[in-house]
Amino acid sequence: MNAFELVRPTRLEEALEVLSEDPETVRPFGGGTALMLLMRSRLLQPRRLVSLDRVSGLDRLDLDGEGNLRVGSMVRLRDLELSATVERFCPAISRALLTLSNVRVRNVATVGGHLAHGDPHMDLPPILLALGASVVAQGPAGPRQIPLDQLYLGYYATSLQPGELITELVIPPLPEGTRGSYLKATALSADDWPMAGVAAFFRLEQGRIVEPRIAVSAATTTPVRLPAVEAALAGEAPSEALFSEAGRLAGRDLHCLSDLRGSAAYKREVVRVYVRRALQQVWAGR
Amino acid sequence: MAERRIAFRLNGREVSCTVRDHETLAAMLRDRFQLYSVRESCAQGLCGCCTVIVDGLAVSGCLYLAPLVDGKSVETVEGLGEEGRLDPVQTAFIEHGAFQCGFCTPGMVLMSHQLLQENPQPDQEAIAHYLSGNLCRCATYPEIVEAVRAAAQGSHVAKEEKSHG
Ligand SMILES: Cc1cc2nc3c(=O)[nH]c(=O)nc-3n(C[C@H](O)[C@H](O)[C@H](O)COP(=O)(O)OP(=O)(O)OC[C@H]3O[C@@H](n4cnc5c(N)ncnc54)[C@H](O)[C@@H]3O)c2cc1C
Ligand code: FES
Ligand code: FES
Repeated sequence: MNAFELVRPTRLEEALEVLSEDPETVRPFGGGTALMLLMRSRLLQPRRLVSLDRVSGLDRLDLDGEGNLRVGSMVRLRDLELSATVERFCPAISRALLTLSNVRVRNVATVGGHLAHGDPHMDLPPILLALGASVVAQGPAGPRQIPLDQLYLGYYATSLQPGELITELVIPPLPEGTRGSYLKATALSADDWPMAGVAAFFRLEQGRIVEPRIAVSAATTTPVRLPAVEAALAGEAPSEALFSEAGRLAGRDLHCLSDLRGSAAYKREVVRVYVRRALQQVWAGR
Repeated sequence: MAERRIAFRLNGREVSCTVRDHETLAAMLRDRFQLYSVRESCAQGLCGCCTVIVDGLAVSGCLYLAPLVDGKSVETVEGLGEEGRLDPVQTAFIEHGAFQCGFCTPGMVLMSHQLLQENPQPDQEAIAHYLSGNLCRCATYPEIVEAVRAAAQGSHVAKEEKSHG
């Protein structure tokens, strides 16, 4: 690892000030699990790191007056996993966390770092995208809210501006009766990073599917919603045939990357199967 | 090169030292405190050989910056048990032969100890799940799971005996 200086401010304004010095060589440090990998392999050689661990006000985890779940950027993934509030709010999030990396990484990794990294092989972004979540970012120009579908621009590329920090994740409440599921396929080993991740949510009204939301990640360069598949599901009665058709549509047009976890064609096939299975799971209420 | 003086609790003792800002926790514990149970193998957070407990939470020493333990409490496997008496997890590992070469053992023992703090009666699935981020090149997994079950049983029995006076 290259030599760098670590700064540990206690106030957000201080952190933003140091970051504004030179966003090229000064980087925010959440839990550091992703940064350490990059620095240890010398893909990243920062001059200064701004650790956010002592910055006050970044650790809330509660529901606001409108029923949104609000999660401070320095909340650790393990706290999210063990939170009864999160489990009541959306059990699919709690379940996904159980197989996200390992306990030691979850003890240290933060929500802000997880969302800012922009690596498509991450488990929470597709779920949060399907849920219509957004992040609050603070920067030299003041605070702004970025919906997740506008955060991820490309492979490791986000719309965060230089010197901007994620301070909070905001997840709107799910309409009553909505159920969800997240499934991931791993390629290199059972507990590898996902090669394809599929999040599916819907609710039933008079036996018909209402507000279906499907998102895919890892197989793609960014997490993406699949509007065409959602349109094909909306208003229909759930059935095996319908879910198979949804899977077929999902795999058909998806732009996938070939990499060491599989060819693009293989990933499309995996997505086809996993979209079907995720929908079956939601239907079965598991 | 940026460095700083830090003070923290190490295996129950107050210590202080000078560390470089970019030093890892694993390197500091080995190089400055001769705690060779902390072993770096994958350097990627995957294998658990570098497991260290920081403020009661297991972390990968290879992905953790040393300066961040300033003011915190740090435990390695050397700090388990008491003088002349092993921790129940350590005893169970020995009794079940839960190692071959022993390289992964400090990490496995610390993680198992953590698991039992959080969940005193884990079933096989819970043990396998909690230890999924610890790799054993000698593949002594069945013995490790057995040892953790025995340790859970043992500490359970010991606690009951105590409470029955
Ligand atoms: C062994 C291993 C296995 C893994 N397996 C999985 C897996 O199966 N599934 C999965 O989803 N993930 C996996 N991960 C990735 C893990 O989820 C991320 O490393 C972690 O979430 C990043 O969080 P962090 O706080 O450590 O980020 P950091 O390393 O601190 O930061 C990551 C990036 O975000 C920036 N940043 C940090 N905080 C902020 C902020 N508040 N605002 C703006 N920018 C910020 C940093 O500058 C950096 O660019 C794995 C990681 C490891 C080490
Ligand atoms: S050396 Fe740290 S987890 Fe493998
Ligand atoms: S005993 Fe040899 S690596 Fe586990």
